[in-house]
Order: sequence, then structure tokens, then C-alpha cells
Amino acid sequence: MTQPRPLRLIPSLAALHLRHEWILTLCLVISLAAVISPLLVLLGLKYGTIQTLRERLVEDPVFREIRPLQTREFKPEWFKEVSSWPGTGFLTPTILPLSSVISVVRDETGMAELFDLIPTAPGDPLLLENGGIVPEDGAAVLTAEAARSLGVNAGGEVVSRVTRSRGGRMENVEARLHVAAVLDARAGALARVYAPLPFVLDVEAYKEGYAAPARGWAGDTPEPYASFDGAVLLLSEPLPPISRSGLVINTGFGRIADLKPDKAKDLLGFSPPQNIVLYDLISPGASITASNLRAIDQKLRGHTRLLLPYVRDVVVRQGEDTLRLVGLSINEEQARLLGLPQTPWGGYSGTPPEGMLSVLWPSAHAPVEERTTLTSSGLTGLEFDLHTAGETGLEYPVVPMELLGVLRTATQRAVSFNREKGRFEMARGGYRGFRLYAQRIDDVPDLYHRLKGQGIEVIAEVEAIERIQVLDKGLTRLFWLIALLGLFGGTAVLIVSLYAAVERRRRDLGVLRLLGFARRHVFFFPIAQGLMITALGLIAGFGGYGALAAAINHAFASELAAGEVFCVLPWAYVPAFCLVTFVLAALASLVAAWQATCIDPAEVIREQ
Amino acid sequence: MAETIAPMVYLKGLVKMRSQCESVFELHVPHFAVSPGQMVAVIGESGCGKSTLLDMLALIMAPTRVDRFEIIFEKLDAPLDIADLWARVDETALSALRRDLFGYVLQTGGLLPFLSVRQNICLPARIKGGEFFMSRIDALAHRLGVSGCLERMPAALSIGQRQRVAILRALAHQPRLVLADEPTAAVDKARARVIMDDMHRLARDEAVAVVVVTHDLELVMDRADIAYTFDTHQVSEHITRSLCRPVIEGPP
Repeated sequence: MTQPRPLRLIPSLAALHLRHEWILTLCLVISLAAVISPLLVLLGLKYGTIQTLRERLVEDPVFREIRPLQTREFKPEWFKEVSSWPGTGFLTPTILPLSSVISVVRDETGMAELFDLIPTAPGDPLLLENGGIVPEDGAAVLTAEAARSLGVNAGGEVVSRVTRSRGGRMENVEARLHVAAVLDARAGALARVYAPLPFVLDVEAYKEGYAAPARGWAGDTPEPYASFDGAVLLLSEPLPPISRSGLVINTGFGRIADLKPDKAKDLLGFSPPQNIVLYDLISPGASITASNLRAIDQKLRGHTRLLLPYVRDVVVRQGEDTLRLVGLSINEEQARLLGLPQTPWGGYSGTPPEGMLSVLWPSAHAPVEERTTLTSSGLTGLEFDLHTAGETGLEYPVVPMELLGVLRTATQRAVSFNREKGRFEMARGGYRGFRLYAQRIDDVPDLYHRLKGQGIEVIAEVEAIERIQVLDKGLTRLFWLIALLGLFGGTAVLIVSLYAAVERRRRDLGVLRLLGFARRHVFFFPIAQGLMITALGLIAGFGGYGALAAAINHAFASELAAGEVFCVLPWAYVPAFCLVTFVLAALASLVAAWQATCIDPAEVIREQ
Repeated sequence: MAETIAPMVYLKGLVKMRSQCESVFELHVPHFAVSPGQMVAVIGESGCGKSTLLDMLALIMAPTRVDRFEIIFEKLDAPLDIADLWARVDETALSALRRDLFGYVLQTGGLLPFLSVRQNICLPARIKGGEFFMSRIDALAHRLGVSGCLERMPAALSIGQRQRVAILRALAHQPRLVLADEPTAAVDKARARVIMDDMHRLARDEAVAVVVVTHDLELVMDRADIAYTFDTHQVSEHITRSLCRPVIEGPP
């Protein structure tokens, strides 16, 4: 004889009971479906609509962009550092806005338009998330507006023309660009061309007059300029007070001060003659260049004058030893005024002289070698060679003033020494801006505040992001409130109906007990019924949802872009929703189940 | 006959007290026994406690006090102490006994309205588990004249048919004891006699003991092996006492 398993009979009995009372069961299933369907539609709407809106707004890379507000120099190290910050999704240097305008010509029509040229790099979210790809060298990506005004599509070809004016002549070069992609309108309404950073840098360089040898674009090689900390003004007679105070106005100098001879020796490295008036022209915190000196010189026309610029903080070493250098470029007349011999490289002219890499050694220390290698600690260490051009009666070695000026510039800008050509060259010191995108929308505020903390003025859609997040949170909360209400209603319907069913069927449950079911068996009778009704309710509810969702999507189809739907449930939600519903149903049937166990067969079996 | 075979249900010194509002009803059963194959009649007017006695025999009501309450059948080595099961509230064991040993015929049949007649009849056997033979049920149905309505729902049957189906259900799983509570109360006298005859005959053929509760003395006296009746008297304003005793005359 097999083991009696009364529990196994409960589900089929429960099902037969439901079938017997099919009208009541139908009502219950419909009332559950009436709760489940709107909830599913609501969930679908929240997911569909809000997610679509969210993706449109929140996931639009524009909202992840952090833009610099001011143009200043950002060094390569800065880019390396910011790239490593958590939350940084994409970072590329940019060039000056003015340098970025190029004209683009379409082959067939010869029509030329002026566009903004923006650098891009692999991983650029603005391109990748707006239907574009990151172009390779020789290719570019156009915004929708740029493509429209040019009348080209992805796969087409355009010619970019870069123009510059040099020495009063207009010059231009052209480069063919393959249109790799055209961005969605969302990427921005302006006509823009996105091209790889190296191309953009070459365009910038060309516009500034320099050459881009790799592309065959002619031009200068950038040479560093000389800069100074101040200048010593030597006059044969003192300035009247009014002229004195007006001297520095509009010259770039900050102020003028009397200078004692011993102080002048500190600054210049030699003692000026006794019978001469000395002034110190200083400009705290700023660099003095040739034009500033020229401005002073203009104002003193008619005076017997000499301007000797000086530098501080330029540390030059010969091997391990620090070497004090005197910067002096004087012509014959100036030499007479100072009572010194004229320098072989001539007077200070503002441009690098012929023998800029020359040195006059003090007769006592004159080295044997014709060529001396010195180092200077600039932004990047500099190593350069000087030719011995003669001897000097001064205490320290004398070099052209321009050389010291360039070495000073090298402490602020990246300068390199080209030994082959025997000249200093301006290395790319930094970039004038950046394009920065956060990884996620939530990273924007952190990055924003971190950049602000570095003293970089930036703007980001921080407020808009917070607004959208608040809206999203609010809508989610609203959904949960309504869902909660629905769940309460559905659960209440189940609790009451199952309880009523137990009350109605007290006698039958009593008879079941009498026939040999234990309390713990009849306990599962309402639970089985609750789960069955819920299963039917879910089927009906999903059916209702399907019909309603199709109707909604159809009704709003005209408002939506292709591929967007208003009401959609992600598949992952379905099992979760069903599970939650079943758990709730099981919980709701507990009351009825408990009630069923409380039935005393002796009390109910004689009820009619 | 009753004296020669060991009883299968034995009750001694049972007291059941039920209170309703201020009135108290006391049922005293000094001695009650059912032997295998016996037909025991419990006769009394309504309110004398006969249904209470039947519910206690059916193991769905606990006695207030009892000296001995045992169930004995051949599969068990020792008598089963029901009083002890009640004391321990071993509901599972009690329901298992109901399932395995007992069959029930209720006043109005007690058929489950949501099961067909055949499903109703087969239910106790399915709860009990093990094998059962549809042919046996068909044969019993044929004998009771209900073979034509096995596939119908109980609601579609006449009251007489329902009672016969109830008897069939009570016997289908081969119980040892059938408890019948006023099985003929809802039918007319002639039909009642036929139903009672059917039950008596089937019980005898199946070797099943039957306890039948009725208020109709005449209907059972010539069929029952033993009959019990009740002496009811008002002890005080609130207390009614009922004493269960065997009917002295005995069957003819």
C-alpha cells in the first residue's frame, strides 16, 4: 500500500472548486487583471516614456560635457592627470577658437563654407553616441547642419582649406577629408567638423604661420621669444618727477623705482658707471618682452638713455656648478655710455642676433674648449652649446641678452634646443582648452567641483542634471505610490475573496476534514486557490497590458522617432513582477488559510 | 455475538460538557462499545446528545473527560488510546485514523458540490491512498441503483440518490466503521426504510461495523444488533444532563 499523501490532492480539489464556482472565479480573475493590467501599463509607460526621455536628456552626451569658460594653457601633464580621475569618460585638448575656423569646399559645387574645426579622439562620446564614428586621419565627421549646408552625406568627400595671412600675403593649403559620418541633429545645431587632434593641431600651427612638414604645408619653425623680469634704465640726468611717474604708463611695466649702484650690480652682474642716473623698471608677476622695452624707448626719445633688461631665477649650470651669466647686447654708442667694449653680437634688437649662442669668458676663467655645454632648468631641462667668442674684462661670462631672455621664457613655456640646427625651438607647451565628458551623468558634479577647485572656470549642466534626476526620482516615487495603491487593492481583493470563499465553503472544508484531511492540509486549500487565481489574473493582466500597450504605442507612433516606443516592458521585469505577485498572493491567502484551519468539522458538517 | 468478539471501539466513563450562553449540557456515556460487523443504533430525540456522541466517535470532537477511549483493529498490536491522542492534540494522527478506518454518511449526504458523484465517491479512497478498484465502485453503485448518475454533479441528484451516493462514498475505501448521522432524515418513511436496508445489507456484506444515529426508533430496532438511547433530565435551571444507556429490550 502506498503512503497516503493527502496534500497532493489539495491543488486538484482547489482547482475543481474554482471551476465549480467559475463565475465567482472569473470575477476574481477579472478584478485581479484590472489591477495588474494598469500596473503593467504604468510600469511599461514609466520604463518606455521616462527611459526614452531619460536617454534623450540624461544620456545625451551634451549633459555629460564639462566645458572650460576661459582660454588658458593646459599642460600635457594636466591632461594626463585629469584623464586618470575617476569619472572622466573622455578628454581631448582643443585649440584656440579663432584658429579653429576652416573653410570647407564641396568638390562638385565648389561651394565653400566656414566651419568650426573641433578635435576628436577615440572614445569621443559626442560622436559615438550620435550615430558617428571617430574619424581617422584624412577623415572627418560633420554635424547634421554642416552636412546639410554642404549637401554631402557620410561616405562623401570634402576639401578643407586653411588660410592665413603672412607678411601681408594670403596663403592657403588644402586637405581632402573623407566624410566618415554625419552626426544626429542632437549633437548640436552648429555647423562643425570633427577631425583627429593631430590634423587640428597642424591647422592651428599653419594659421599661426608655422609649417606642417608632414602634410607639406610650408611655414616657419616656431622660435622662442625672449622675455625678462625687468630692465635697468640708465640716464645721463634725472627725470623730472612728472615724466618719471608717467614713464611706465601704457608700457607694460608696473612701476619705476630709483636704483642704487650696488643693487644695479646685483641685477646686471656688473657695475654701471658712477656718473649716471639709475632706475629700475619692474613689472611684478609679468613678463617683459621686446615690445615693452620699445615702448619705454619711444617715450624717452631725446634723452641719452640705455635700457638693460635683466632676468632673475634663470639658473645655468656648467656641469655641476652654477654659472652666473651676464646678459649684455650693446652697440657701439651704448658701449661708450657704459664704458665697456661693444659686444660682438651687436646691440639689443628684439630678434635673436646672429651669434646668439656666443659667450665672452672672463680672462681669468677662459676655458680651453671652443664649445661649452651648459644646462638650464626650464620647464623641461635644456642643454645647449655656446661658442667662445672672445674674452671680457667683466667678472662673469657675458652672453647675448636675448639668450638669457629665451632661457627665462624656457622657465615658463616648453622650449627645446635643436642641436642639429643650433637653435632654440618652441615646443608645444600646452593646449588652449579641452573637451571633457564625464563617464556617467552622476560623475559630472564631482568633476565640475574638482576642476573648480583647481581654479579652472568651467560650466556644466550640473543644474539641469540635478533637475532631471529630481524629475526621475519624483516619477519613480509616483510610480511606486500608484503601484503600492494597486498592490494594496489587489491584495485586499484577494484577501477578502479568499476569506469569503472559505466562509462560504465552511461545510465543504469541514467535510474534507472529516474525510481525513488534517488542519495542515486544508491550510493549503486557499493558498492553492489564491495562486491559481493569481496565475489566471497574471495571464489576463498581461493580455490586457499587451492590448493596451499596442494601442498606446499605435496612438503615439507619430510623436516618436523610429525604434522608440512609449510603453514597453523589459523582459527582465516580467519574472520579477510575477514573482512579487505570487508572493503577495500567497501572503494574501494566509488569512483565509488560517481561517480554514480554524474550522471545526463538528460545528459545520450539519450546516445546510 | 457482541460478547464473543472483542470490541473495535470501546468507550468508558465519557463525559462531554457543552455550554451555550448560560445553559450547560452534560452528556454522560458510562459504557459504549462497537464490535466488528455490528450495527449499533443510537436513538434519541433532538438535543439529547446523539450527534455529540457521534462526533466524538468520529474523532472530530474531544471528550471533556473519559476513562477509556480505545480503538482496536487487527493491524494494531495494542489498543489505540484516543484519549491520549486528544490530550496531545495529535491532529495528524486523528485525521489519519478518520481517513483509514472510518466512513461517514451525513444527514444530507455531505457530498462536495464541486466534485462529480464519481469524484465524491473516489475521494476518501484517494485520500487514503493505495489501490482501489473502480469495478468495485461500479458494482456497489449498481447495487444501490445510482450507477446512472456517477458522472453527474451532486446538485443534479434527488435527495434519496444523494443519500445512497453518500453511503457508497462511506464504503468505497473499505473502512472498518461507518458512522451515519440521521441518514434518512430528509426522505420519506418508505424511502428511509429502503436506504436503511441498503446500508444494513452492504455493511453486513462488507463486514463493516455501522453506528447509525436516528430519532426513528422503529426504523432501526429490527435491524440493529445493539441500540443505545438517552435519558435526559433538567438538573437545575441551567444544567441539562443526558445519560446514554443501552436499550434493555434488545432486538427481537
